[in-house]
Parts: sequence; structure tokens; C-alpha cells
Amino acid sequence: MARLALLLRLARRSVLRNRRRTLIILVAISVALWAMIFFAALTRGWENDVVHNAIFTLTGHLQVHAPGYRDDPSVDHSMKPPNATVAQLLAGTEVAAWGTRVRVPAVVMSEHDTAGVTLVGIDPAAERGLSFIADAVHTGRYLDSPDDRGILIGRALADRLGTGVGKRVVVMSQAADHSVADRGFRVVGLFEGDREATEMAYVFVGRRTAMTMLKLGSRVSELAVMLRDRRQLPAFLARLRTAASGLDVQPWTTLEPMAQAMVALGQAWIWMFFVVMYVAMAFGLVNTMLMAVMERTREFGMLQALGMRPRLILIQVVFESCFLLAAGAAAGIGLAAGTLSLLHGGINLSILAQGAEMWGMGKVIYPAAAVVDVIGATALVVVLGVFSSLYPAWRAARRVPIEAITRN
Amino acid sequence: MSAGTVIRSTSPQRPGLRLYLRLAWRNVWRNPRRTLLTLSAVAFAAVILVFMVSMQLGGYGAMIRGATGVFTGDLQVQAEGYHAKQRLRTAIADASSVEARVAAVPGVTAVSSRAQAFALVSSATRTYGGMIVGVEPAKEPSVSTIPRTIRKGRYLSGATSDEAVVGQALASNLSLTVGDEITVLGQGLDGSLAVAVLKVVGIFSSGVPELDRQTVEMPLASFQSAFLLGDRVHAIVVRTGGLEAVPHVAGLIRAAIANRPGLTVLRWDQLLEGLKQGIAMDAAVGWFLYTALVLVVTFSILNTFLMSVLERTREFGVFLALGTRPRILGRVVILESVILLLLGLAIGTLAGAGITAYAGVHGIAFSSSEELLAQWSLPARIYPRLDLLSVTLGPAAILLATLVAALFPARRIRRLRPVDAMKAV
Amino acid sequence: MTRSLRSGLVALALILAAFGALKATAAADDPATIVKGAIDYWRDVTSYTVVEMTVHRPDWERASLMRAWTRGEKDSLVRFVKPARDAGSATLKVGDDMWIFSPKLNRVIKLPFSMMAQSWMGSDFSYNDLAKSDQIIHNFTHRLVKTDKQDGHAVYVIESTPLPNAPVIWGKERLRIRDDHLLLEETFFDQDGKPVKRLSAVKIGRLGGKVYVTSMRMEKLDEADHWTEITYRKASFGLSLPDAVFTLSNLRNPRPGWERP
Repeated sequence: MARLALLLRLARRSVLRNRRRTLIILVAISVALWAMIFFAALTRGWENDVVHNAIFTLTGHLQVHAPGYRDDPSVDHSMKPPNATVAQLLAGTEVAAWGTRVRVPAVVMSEHDTAGVTLVGIDPAAERGLSFIADAVHTGRYLDSPDDRGILIGRALADRLGTGVGKRVVVMSQAADHSVADRGFRVVGLFEGDREATEMAYVFVGRRTAMTMLKLGSRVSELAVMLRDRRQLPAFLARLRTAASGLDVQPWTTLEPMAQAMVALGQAWIWMFFVVMYVAMAFGLVNTMLMAVMERTREFGMLQALGMRPRLILIQVVFESCFLLAAGAAAGIGLAAGTLSLLHGGINLSILAQGAEMWGMGKVIYPAAAVVDVIGATALVVVLGVFSSLYPAWRAARRVPIEAITRN
Repeated sequence: MSAGTVIRSTSPQRPGLRLYLRLAWRNVWRNPRRTLLTLSAVAFAAVILVFMVSMQLGGYGAMIRGATGVFTGDLQVQAEGYHAKQRLRTAIADASSVEARVAAVPGVTAVSSRAQAFALVSSATRTYGGMIVGVEPAKEPSVSTIPRTIRKGRYLSGATSDEAVVGQALASNLSLTVGDEITVLGQGLDGSLAVAVLKVVGIFSSGVPELDRQTVEMPLASFQSAFLLGDRVHAIVVRTGGLEAVPHVAGLIRAAIANRPGLTVLRWDQLLEGLKQGIAMDAAVGWFLYTALVLVVTFSILNTFLMSVLERTREFGVFLALGTRPRILGRVVILESVILLLLGLAIGTLAGAGITAYAGVHGIAFSSSEELLAQWSLPARIYPRLDLLSVTLGPAAILLATLVAALFPARRIRRLRPVDAMKAV
Repeated sequence: MTRSLRSGLVALALILAAFGALKATAAADDPATIVKGAIDYWRDVTSYTVVEMTVHRPDWERASLMRAWTRGEKDSLVRFVKPARDAGSATLKVGDDMWIFSPKLNRVIKLPFSMMAQSWMGSDFSYNDLAKSDQIIHNFTHRLVKTDKQDGHAVYVIESTPLPNAPVIWGKERLRIRDDHLLLEETFFDQDGKPVKRLSAVKIGRLGGKVYVTSMRMEKLDEADHWTEITYRKASFGLSLPDAVFTLSNLRNPRPGWERP
């Protein structure tokens, strides 16, 4: 034990002896780690955005529809509200939020223009925690109740239609009996979505108002559920399918397959980058360690002659590289933490908004360092770094004493 | 330095470059292991950069080709104002003569005209809004890949006037199969009802959701007659055989149609604004990654340069004492670094080019992400593009950064005091 | 009957008559009644008209001739006669539904809701305008702003505001209705109070046995030289039109004989 302490002291002293060299390799290690973590955070931020958008726009963790609705999302494929078994399941502890909606294609008209949209009839209270709309209204007010006679439209759509809060728009759609259903709605609030596409695509009204307008009675178009923990999805899905037999129950991964694919792609890119950065840094580390070892051949030779076993010399050198790696990693993590906290408010992509939408991103990207990435990058650098320092350590340890002492 | 090598020149002129080179070369190989490690670091970075930049450029090229190849084309001639707002009236009059003129422009490899309008499409059971596009059946395949993406049935043959091909999603919304009849109801040029009854001869699946969800293609002549357009079209689609040629050919086309007022030539990046921005974003991320890599490699080998100078402090002291000017020593040291870097870069660039060339032939498969890549008009197999830019960009950046790094140790030499230096260990 | 009872009854009758007259005059001043009166006068119980429509734009103009049958507030059939290209095309409205027939397609298509906001035959009227010609009666509240005098007639200027949840895009409408039930002008305002389009009577004459607006023009106020003019060439009112006129089969296969009842 005392030996270990001694080795540690020796290692630390050697490392500190040549400040400049140590500093330079530290820079290499910390830049490598900083870049790894930052890039991973950017990628995770992108993934989170894509997944969040996929789940939170309206999909939730899973949805229930009448069979045929997904192919033809119209008023013809509506279903009865949840039965007792389903309701009981929805009252369980795994469920964070759930709500039923009316959701049909419609047309919105103002004095100046017309637009095709999806009319969504909601229970405003149920949408809290279930979808984005509850927190997205920044102008005007949110809907009060399923009987609210107002309408929420997206800001971009309001601009296009030349309308605003307090004005009336006419919504036209097809009722359940195939007659034309139309109604005037007062715009009570404008919502902002992460993507402009969301603002143009949806308009929200009270669910009962929609049911009356479309002559649906008590029928609805869909049921959306948000669980407390996404990992419980498969189990819950199975139980819900049994309880809601005859209905089409699907998880978000089926309803939004692209999101999943993007996450997988992002993951692959992160690890590829990690490996590249590590190798680039490893060259420098090995070279530095080798040099540090070579110039101390006399010292090592002397230690060996004094009785220090080669194995301990190896350990000492390994400790040296550990110090370098640990210090570099700490600096790298610190730099990354600093940069990420500076970008806490997100990186604004509005200049390249259309480009961002192409990649599935919203207006702002929030880099998010995942613990697993930080640990992974650090472990890669430190563990493999130690591994690559074994060669110089071995070289240090295998000198024959006399040769070493007399070497010039 | 081996004995017998004269440092101070015997002739009054300055020592020649060949001398420096020989000295530098010998110094480089004095410590083979260290040199090899440094070479590897540089070569590794060069390989990575050449490959990654080639992949990026190849990927972008594929994306652009994919996006423009499906429907947009490299260039389009349109009536002014059509791109901003697609009105049926904003059309190119006397289109066949304009098309002929455009076809004659050098650099144009394919031309085809289109007219389009939004209309109601009805099958036996359903009605949906759709974009009806009148195309020239013989020429359209040379400017668009849609004819090649027919999944059921066949493309328009040009022999009959009342046939149509429909996008897959629209076909399923309308519950259509090949052989069914659809009616098109829209508004003609003078406001009268534009009607057409068409037989579905094929269903296509281009991979682009917007196209598959709302497009119906029909023969141009029938479209013009149904919508009362006469000889008018909305777009003359042009292919140029290469994205680099686009700006030049655009200029030539503008000159060729200069006598027809009210027409404008649009490049693919003006037609697909989001694509250009998306590429810019990806490129920005790429720059970040490359910068990080270059930085790490630079600092990695900085120690090497430093060490190789520091451990020869005694030697330098001796030479300085003998009267060698510090500047000369500095040049030799820099030359050593340059040789090292150039050698490493040469190896790396060649290796990188080799790997990239091989991948360029066989492509890199991303089979698990095929559907996702199709969203971005990318094929499942990407071919990195090896050209002057991708071969030189990365290595040049490395060279620049590492040269700057190499300068620092060389400057130290100037500050050496011979007597102290000679005493160094 | 006793004398007092008789005089009492006479008195009662006089009072009731006076009351009735009072009510009549009051009713004449009630804007809602005025508006309904104008629409009913225009459409009559049933009508058959031959109409010429000219659509005018800065760079083109198109004229067409059509025959129209109406019944009540909600049903109508319009069939095109000229130009030859459009001859036979027809639009049927029964209740709230609209169908289009095209002889070239030989098909009847029910107008989906997404098409309702589109312009009808390229004119400044939308399908919705046609479908909702009676909405001024049902979906608005009316206020008499003032009464002008013109050509020896009283002209009621009425401001109509849509009911809160009515499917009306306009902020308000302003109507000028003459005391003989002629609609002289209908101006459509957006919700900021700016006038957007206007329907105005261009010519007044006798048609089908009554004084009628024989020519009217619908124009967009923010675009110069954009208008649609409708001129009645012939009209018969109050005919007995068989129910079969307003059916899909008649839409498709016009029966002769109902042309000139």
C-alpha cells in the first residue's frame, strides 16, 4: 500500500516536472473530450427535439383509433368513447395523462384567404401533459372547456389568413351524415409550435363543440395516452390492446417511424466520432509518454538497479498517464460543461429555418449532454488511453540496468 | 550529425537548400519510432479528413441529385411570378418555341415542359384535392425519376391522350387500382370548368411524400386542352448533366430567351430553398468536427516537435558556439517539421484517396436507415466523391495548423545562449 | 246584439285595425323584415330566369348564358347554355348540398367542402356565395342606419352584423334596400371594417311582371378592373315548378318543357 502511494508520488512528480509538455498533451486530451461531449450533446439535442416533436405534437406515447382511421382520418371512422375496462386502465398509475379528441380534415376561411387544416376538438384540461398545445398559447387565452366556442390557430396560419385574436374565422368540414358542416369561431388564442408546419396544420376547438358541429353524438376520433415512463410502453400497450379489442392501438414508434430511425442514425454518428477523436488523441498520448519515458532511461535504470521491480516501473508510468488522462478529462468535461451552460438557451436556427425543418429540427436546438455519453467518452479516453500507454510503460520497464545507466 | 558534414559553408554564398534538406532528413530519422508515431498521427488525420469530406460532398451531391432528379430538375424556365404564387394564368406562352430554343443551348442535356393546376380528383367512391401535372410522356423520363418509380402498371406511353399515373398515397386514398377511371375537375384558364376523364395506367412511389400524396400526371396536350391553355406551359424543366454546370448553363439560357420578356430562369437551389439550407447546416456541423480533429492532432504532435528541439539543445549550443547563425538552425528545424508533415500528409492523403476511391466504386451502405434517408432524397448506398476539393481541403487544413505549431519550437532556437545550451543534458 | 255590445265590437275592431296598421308600418321599418323582404322579392317563391354573366379581368373577359330555376330560399338549379364549351354544365343546390354536372365527364360530382371557397366558373362569386345566398337572413342581426331618398324612393341603409357563431367570414355587411324591395347595394366588410367587395345594382327595369334589378355587378374593391356582371334577360316568377326539377336525375338529364313554363 505504501508502495502504491510512493509510486503515485513519483508519477505525479514526473508529470509535473516538464510543465510545457504536460500542458500540451493535456490540451490535446481536453480538446478531444470537449469535442466528443459537445458533439454528442448536439446530436442528443437534435434527437430529443425529433422525439419530443413526434410524441408531444399530438401523438403521445400511444393512440387508439377506430379501424380504418389511420388510412382515412375522417369523420367516417369515429369510435365510441372509452369503455369501463379501458377507463379503468387509463386511471392506473403508469398513465401520466390521457385524452380523447375529435380530429378531422377541415378548411378554415377568413375574409382574405382559405387554408386546409386538421380540426382538432380537445378537452383543454386533458391536454396538459399530453400534448404541446396546453403550453403553446402565448397570445390570447387557452380554451376553457370542451364546450368552449373559441378556436386556437397557429401564429403562422393567422398571418397567412390575415386574422388575429378577437376575429372570427369560418371552419368547414364534413359532418357524420355527409352534409357540409360549417361554423363561425372566434379566435381566442394564437399558439406557437416548435415548427412552422405545426402552426399551419392544426386548429383547436372544444371537443363538444366539434362533436355538435359534426353531428358525432358522443363519438370521438382518437384517444391519446402519455405514460409516466416510456419504458413501460410495451407492457401497457399489451394490456390496452386486450381492453380495447376491436380498436386500433398503436405506439408512437409505429405512428412516427422516422423519429426512431433518426435516433438510431444519430447514435451511430456519435460513436464514430468518439472513436476518431480518441485515435487522434491517442497518437499524441503515446508519443508523449514514449518521450517522457525515453528521456528518463537513466532514472529508471537507476531505480531498477536500486531494486525496484520492473512491474512497479510499469505501474508508475501507467499512473503518470492516468494523471494526464484524468486531468485532461476533467478539463475537457469542464470546458464542455461551460460551453453547454453558455448555450443553455439553445442555438437559434431561425436563419436556416427551412434547412432545420429538413433535418426534422425545430426553430431552436437545445444541446443536451446525456450522462451515458459523458461517461462513455471519458471511459473511452481514460481506459483506452491507459491501455495505449502500456507500450511506453513496458518499454520503460524492460531496460537492463547497466545499459540504462551508461546510456548517454 | 555525423562527422564529416560541414555546417559552415566553404563558399561565400549561403548554404544551399539541398544541404538543409539532407540535414533535415537525417534529423527526421534519428528517432524512427517517434517519427513513425508522428507520421501516423498526421496520416490518420489526413485519411479521416479526406474520407469524411468526400463522404460529405458525395452525400450532398447525392442529396441534391436525388432531390432535383425526382421532379425539380437542375433548372427551370418559368413565367415571372410563378414560383412565388402558382396561378394558372402565370404561364409561358408559345411554349413549344421556347422549349426548342432552350433545348438548343449547349450544356442542356434534357428538356421537358410541364403545366400544372390544383384540382379535384374523383374515383368511383372518393374525391380528393390533388396537383394535376401535364407532362410530355416521351421527354419526362429524361428530367424526372418518377417514371422509373412505377410500382404497378406502366408510365404514360404518349399514344393515348386520356391516361394518367397517380402517386401511391393518393391512389390508396382514392382506393384506386390500375385500370380504374378518375375524373379531374378544376378551373380552366378563362374560369370555365376544366374536366378530364382519365384511365389510371400506373401507380408510382417516388419516396417523396408530397409527390406521392397529391400528384397525378397526364399527357401535356390533354392537360392543355382540358384547362384551355393552348400552347402555354408553366415550367420548362432542364437537366445539365452536372451540378457544377448549372450557373453557367443558366446564363446561357437567359441569353437565349432574352427576346421573350416575362420569363425567368430558376436554379435548383432557388427551387429547393430548404435543401440548400439543410446542406449548409450539415456542413457547419462538419466544420466543427474537422476543426476539433485538426486541433487535437496538432496538439498531439506539437509535443513531438518540441521534444525534438529540446533534446538537441546541447547540439544546438555547440553549433551556435561554432558560429552557425541561429536562423539557419531554425530553418533546418522547420524543414524537418515540413518534411515530416508532408510525408505524413502524403501517406495519409494517398491512403485516404485509395480508401475513398474504393468506397466510391462500391458505396457505403446504410441499409438499416433506408427509409429515413429517402426522406432526404438520399439513396441507401452513398458514394463518397473524390475530387480535388475533398483531397486537398482536409490535408491543407492540417498542414496549416501543424506548421503554425512547428514554428514555436523553431523560435526557441533563436533564444538559445550557446554556453548555457551546451551545458544542457 | 245589443247596441252597446255592437259599438263595443266596432270599437274593438277599429282598435285592432289601427293596431294592425301600426304594426304593419312598424314592420316595414324593422330591418330584419326589410332584408327578408328584399331576398324573398328577388328569389320569389319559385323563379325561372335566363341570365347572362360577364366575368371581367384586366386582361380578359368572358361572357356566358345560363338558365336558372329557384325554389324557396335554398334550392336552385343553374344550367349553362353558352359558350358552347360550357353548354350543358350545371350546378344543383338542394338544402345545404351542392352538385356539379359536366357533360364532358358525363358525371355528377358532389361538391366537397374543400371546394366551397373556390370561385364559381371563374367569377367573383364563390360556390359558398351561391350556397349561402339566404344566409343574410338567418345569420345576421340588422340595424337600420338611416333612410335615404333616391329617385322618389326611400332607400333603407342597413348594417348587418353576423351572429357570434355564424359561419360568416365578413366583419359586417352594409345593404341599401329600396322601399319596393329592390336590393341596390350589398357591401362586404372585413373584420377591421375595410370594405372588401361590393354587389351593386347597375340597371333597374321590369322583368317577369315586376320591377326588378335587371343587371348587377360584383366587384373586388382592392383590385381594379375585377368584376362580374349578371344581367337578367328573361324571368318568370311564382311558377309551379315540379319537384323533379331539383333532382340529380334532372341535373344530369334535363327534361325539355320546363324551359319555358
